[in-house]
Amino acid sequence: MSEEVLFRQSFTIRGGDFEHGGEVATLVKSYLKQLGLPADVIRRLSIANFEAEMNVIMYAEHGELELSVLPDAVRIVLADRGQGIPDIEWAMQEGNSTATPEMRARGFGAGLGLPNIRRNSDEFEITSTVGVGTTLRYTVFIEPAAEGPGR
Amino acid sequence: MSMAPRTIATDRERCNACVACMRVCPTRAIRTRGGEATVDASRCIECGACVEACPRDALRAVTSSPADLERFKLKVAIPSLTLYGQFGPDVRPGQVLHALRQIGFDRAYDLSWMCEMVGSATDAYLSECQGPWPKISTTCPAVVRLIQIRYPEMVSHLLPLETPRELAAKLHRRRLASELGLDPSEIGIFFITQCAAIMNSIVAPVGLERSNLDGAMAISELYGPLRKALREHPGSESDDAVSPRGLGWAMGAGEVASMRNNATIRIRGVHEVTEVFDRIEDGVFQNIDFIEAYICTGGCLGGHLTIAPRHVAQRSLDRIARQLGEGQGVKEEKVRSLLREHFFDLHGEIAARPVQPLAGGLRQAVAVKREKDRLVCALPGKDCGACGAPDCATLADDVVRGQATIDDCVFIRLEALQRRREACQEGEP
Repeated sequence: MSEEVLFRQSFTIRGGDFEHGGEVATLVKSYLKQLGLPADVIRRLSIANFEAEMNVIMYAEHGELELSVLPDAVRIVLADRGQGIPDIEWAMQEGNSTATPEMRARGFGAGLGLPNIRRNSDEFEITSTVGVGTTLRYTVFIEPAAEGPGR
Repeated sequence: MSMAPRTIATDRERCNACVACMRVCPTRAIRTRGGEATVDASRCIECGACVEACPRDALRAVTSSPADLERFKLKVAIPSLTLYGQFGPDVRPGQVLHALRQIGFDRAYDLSWMCEMVGSATDAYLSECQGPWPKISTTCPAVVRLIQIRYPEMVSHLLPLETPRELAAKLHRRRLASELGLDPSEIGIFFITQCAAIMNSIVAPVGLERSNLDGAMAISELYGPLRKALREHPGSESDDAVSPRGLGWAMGAGEVASMRNNATIRIRGVHEVTEVFDRIEDGVFQNIDFIEAYICTGGCLGGHLTIAPRHVAQRSLDRIARQLGEGQGVKEEKVRSLLREHFFDLHGEIAARPVQPLAGGLRQAVAVKREKDRLVCALPGKDCGACGAPDCATLADDVVRGQATIDDCVFIRLEALQRRREACQEGEP
């Protein structure tokens, strides 16, 4: 089944670039607002994207975030090159984040880790190879009833 | 769509459509096409940055005039705490209130005690509130408008308590009417303001049907008469009613200084405010209970209708606060009883006012967004403002919304001219 992609754009995230941390999430958010997507869709994606972006900045060397707007969903694929995750099952448990309290206190990431991305998306998939990198794919559905911005 | 009244007016005679105001506008609400600066009211947050930036004084805050005072039998002033810091460290709050009574007000009341009460009420609210976190102060009207327009999803983060100035006006009107046997409408209560944003919150209130204040007069306009009155009749009124904790609202430590809760942060200036608000949208700062946010970089002491430079005013206020010592403080029973009668509650809804998306349906919006991105690539990226829009991306946005054409860009026009000239030369025999 071929799917129709209305809009697609890639954004580069550099590992360790705390200075620009969150800028990709903010940019994607402004795109979604311009497209008039429902407020709830934007809110959930913003939380997931920021968390995902900060993961790359904190733990990887380089990442590409691909935004795809479909007629009924928004999909994000974020592939990074980096240390990878040795135990995905552990990392996916609530409260298991390696973010230090200091990172959280400085506003880097909600410190809630990958489960926060899963919680804010309708579909979520993660693959990782230690020493190579991690790929996240997550989707938020656009409810047909909620067309237009939140008013 | 009906537009809320505005409180910043353009003087057409003085405006020469330079780009100074347009450049500093945090919401890109200003355009300088057609010989004068025009403001899109649906994007303006009334912050006053343009008033400060204009080199020709063409943009002015519209505040109440002495004639507005004359409509009322009893004229009451409630000065912003910022006023106390305008006359140097040796002029005490009691003297400032006395001076207001010398220049035409029948009564002048201190606001700091109400600030302290609202601080306590905020503590009480936060201890029972279920989120979403963090809550954001509604004291700065420009911040409230910024959230309505640019962060519409965050209106639920706004603290649903009335501001001290509104509450003080409500209480004084109630008390004066019964004490003096006046009809409430015969009492005119005026805020002495440091910015246009507060005047706007009176003529176009958010979250309440009608402001409890009847107008606002600019500190900058009353400064001369007040200074004269202070010199001629300095008065020796006591500062008993002034709350040192409440005074913090005007100073560096601000609102959070009058609160017990310490899971708080304070942010000032458009840059800091948008940086933090962008993160709140991303779910960060949920461990923070309360954010005190002001649109002016220097907080209210840096308001554009003040006279004293903010560091000077800060020093004066610090000294005044030290002299006041501990003060007597607001009685907790009083706050509790007012809380029980929901005195502090904001009764109206604060509505989101998001900027229109590029088009109605998703498909059309994507097509328009593509066109906009194409235009951004075609434009020179110099953000010179000569086209009348603050930057190239905004011109592209205006073009796809049908409010401008790509030819408004001088660089594009030059290129076209160049091409035509070359074509002519090639055509010559």
